[in-house]
Amino acid sequence: MWRIWLLFDPRRALIALFTFLFVLALLIHFILLSTDRFNWLGGHAAPSAAAQHMSTLPDTAKP
Amino acid sequence: MADQSRGSLSGLTDSEAKEFHGIFVTSFIIFTVIAIVAHFLVWQWRPWL
Repeated sequence: MWRIWLLFDPRRALIALFTFLFVLALLIHFILLSTDRFNWLGGHAAPSAAAQHMSTLPDTAKP
Repeated sequence: MADQSRGSLSGLTDSEAKEFHGIFVTSFIIFTVIAIVAHFLVWQWRPWL
């Protein structure tokens, strides 16, 4: 497997790999930020998962 | 196979390619472990399936 570096220049391969991973990570993070459920900065609760917790909140909140 | 006396297509020798491959594999494993930990934490936070 190490013979791959006899074919591909490691410098170019690393630049290509890092560029690809950076663009992919940026894309995935922005896609997640655009959703309600996986936006970790929005301040909104998770719609589907939080709905189950919300049903128990009023009962436990009562004194 | 390749003509070792005149170098390879990338210009690396066999030993250089093996040395770089070791670093590359180690880095890839570290990256993968970090990614697995990150995915585990996100799954604990909000599972997506």
